[in-house]
Amino acid sequence: MRPSFFHHLHPPTIPAAQSRFRYTLGAGGLSVYLACVLLITGILEMFFYVPTPERAGASIQMITFLVPYGAVVRNMHFWAAQFLIITACIHLIRVVFTGAYAPPRQFNYLLGLALLVITLFLDFTGYILRWDESIHWALVAGTNLVKSIPYVGTGLYGFLVGGGKLSASTLTRFYAWHIFGLVLAMVVFLTWHLFRVRRDGGIAVPPVELRQDLTRITRFELVRREVLAIILATVVLLLVSIFIPAPLSAPMKQNTSVVADPRAPWFFLWVQQMLKIGNPFFFGVLVPIGVLTLLALIPYLFPKPIPAETGKWFPKSNRMAQIIVASIGLFIILLTILAMMPTQ
Amino acid sequence: MKSNEPTLSRRSFLSTTWKLTLGLSGLLGLGGLLQYLGYQSEPASPTQFKLGDAANYPPGSRIIVPDAQAIIQNSSQGFQALSLVCPHLGCLVEPDKEGFTCPCHGSKYDPNGVYRSGPAKQSLPELRLEETTDGKLILHTD
Repeated sequence: MRPSFFHHLHPPTIPAAQSRFRYTLGAGGLSVYLACVLLITGILEMFFYVPTPERAGASIQMITFLVPYGAVVRNMHFWAAQFLIITACIHLIRVVFTGAYAPPRQFNYLLGLALLVITLFLDFTGYILRWDESIHWALVAGTNLVKSIPYVGTGLYGFLVGGGKLSASTLTRFYAWHIFGLVLAMVVFLTWHLFRVRRDGGIAVPPVELRQDLTRITRFELVRREVLAIILATVVLLLVSIFIPAPLSAPMKQNTSVVADPRAPWFFLWVQQMLKIGNPFFFGVLVPIGVLTLLALIPYLFPKPIPAETGKWFPKSNRMAQIIVASIGLFIILLTILAMMPTQ
Repeated sequence: MKSNEPTLSRRSFLSTTWKLTLGLSGLLGLGGLLQYLGYQSEPASPTQFKLGDAANYPPGSRIIVPDAQAIIQNSSQGFQALSLVCPHLGCLVEPDKEGFTCPCHGSKYDPNGVYRSGPAKQSLPELRLEETTDGKLILHTD
């Protein structure tokens, strides 16, 4: 049989440790699966969604209330997108907490960070496509943040929203990025990320001479586990999608300040909370970029864990990286909780 | 080769020319792309709003003009037109008992639009209000 990409990702046998749930948490695999669900449900939504200010809301209501199984399709798209952020972050934390980002995997770690950024942009553009009252201030504040960048801000703003102010062009552009530009980047980077996993020697485990557990599992056992994980994930996703509808408010009207929900989408609440302190460029652009840069530098700043500890939880030889990522995580969670608390 | 001849070989000349042409074409293409993406497909917002008779804005009134994202206040000092766009990140501030509050990041202003607290650090911009000879108000937002 001619080897395919599938065979590249599923060698005849792999070390049993590489596919243990308590090691990988299944987070990377789940993220890939959720991305596939998002692609399929997204294509289905494209058959009905109309990206104009007048019709966006009505077309979403049509999907939700009239199209057979439309509500399930839309809710699955919504929930898969929210879960993807969580599984991707768990995957990132697992990789750092097991020292798996260390050479030779440092480049794939960067590809993974790029995927996280693309995912956040996809989530934000998808959120904006609702074009309802609840997204208005997030759109205004988010795009004005871009404007706050010195020198290039105004030009970048025009490029982003399609003119000097928010308008129908803005929806067209966010739609184009959401369904094509960002998805294309996602497909390229995701394929590359998966390809590199095997190229770098599979999921990180200690080298064979230092390995305590030499058992291996076959390709068939690996696929069996993947199928089991997919079935479980699908059941959970379906249950959530059937019982918890994705939010939708009345269509956005220009120039109103009355009803809009001033909250950012949950994954950007931590940025909104920092913006309550002051300077938009510093807190809304520089700090998030700083956090991202710090994460990207981890493989280059901290020593490689000793080989016997590679691919094990909390290697002693790599405490600094774990402390930094844990602090970033706590910082973001704390700000998010503060932002969710009712004001006054 | 004579000693006073420049030492640029045919190969490196062609290679340099090739790279320069490629770089120049790239820059031209990038310039075109930026112009293409920078085109404003929507007309600019109006900067003048006819508000009608000044008598419609009696003393003590605070009336919001939604299209202009502004509020017209008639106090003892006369007319005052304030932009409701928060100078921090552009959300519309909401009038309340103590003045104005921005729903997005919590900046607060007093009833005259003067900055009180929060991340904005600036007051609400005051807009120019023109009263015509026949007693009509025109608001300028530029």
